[in-house]
Amino acid sequence: MAQTRTPTRSQGARDASEARIGSGARVRGRIQGDGDLVIEGHVEGSVTLRGDLTIAEGATVESESVTAHAVLIAGALEGNLVASGLVRLASGARVRGDVQGNAVAIDDGAHFSGRLDCEFELPPELGGASQGEARGRASVRR
Amino acid sequence: MASTVIGAGITIEGEIATDEDVVVAGTVRGKLSAKEGVTIEHGATVEADVAGGSLTVAGTLTGNVTANERVDLQPGARVIGNVKAARVTIADGAQFKGNVDMDV
Repeated sequence: MAQTRTPTRSQGARDASEARIGSGARVRGRIQGDGDLVIEGHVEGSVTLRGDLTIAEGATVESESVTAHAVLIAGALEGNLVASGLVRLASGARVRGDVQGNAVAIDDGAHFSGRLDCEFELPPELGGASQGEARGRASVRR
Repeated sequence: MASTVIGAGITIEGEIATDEDVVVAGTVRGKLSAKEGVTIEHGATVEADVAGGSLTVAGTLTGNVTANERVDLQPGARVIGNVKAARVTIADGAQFKGNVDMDV
């Protein structure tokens, strides 16, 4: 397969920054790491990342727990998701499970079934509670 | 370019099966099987039985290896386990402990 690669990007840099489960791959077990991960294939098991997670179109993830920073979903996810960054369900995504994120975006055409838990601090005049305890919650089930 | 890349910061405990290439720069424990090439890069740790079309090792591998075509242990590789392949090379600077079986 002919593939052009930018000469400035060294082999080491590529490996440190990139992790990908290809479309022909099936992983059963526990995945954890510091970096980013792109899933194009099938994953069964837990995923715990410090970096960003992308579940690409055509990918399926069945997991008791998925934890990552920002998460972009264009494939199928069955299981609960906890993200410290933005969660985006792109058009074509199918998600069953509870989603907890710093911010959650659901595109038109995405399918979501579960609870949406988006924590944010209310201003003190609305919350009435001490700072850090006042939280809002958005719940969607459809 | 490999279809599946286990980056340096990633650890997978379990089973990986693919009909494409795999490059491991991180850690894999369990079982790893690929129809095409498997590359275990320098700095990677694999504690797994590995099956593949061909296998190139520059990192640390503990486990039994079966390759349809060939196994190449590059300088810096550390392999503990049995190797079964029709063609096997062990480069100067590679460490290897185990049996080699070329009668495939």
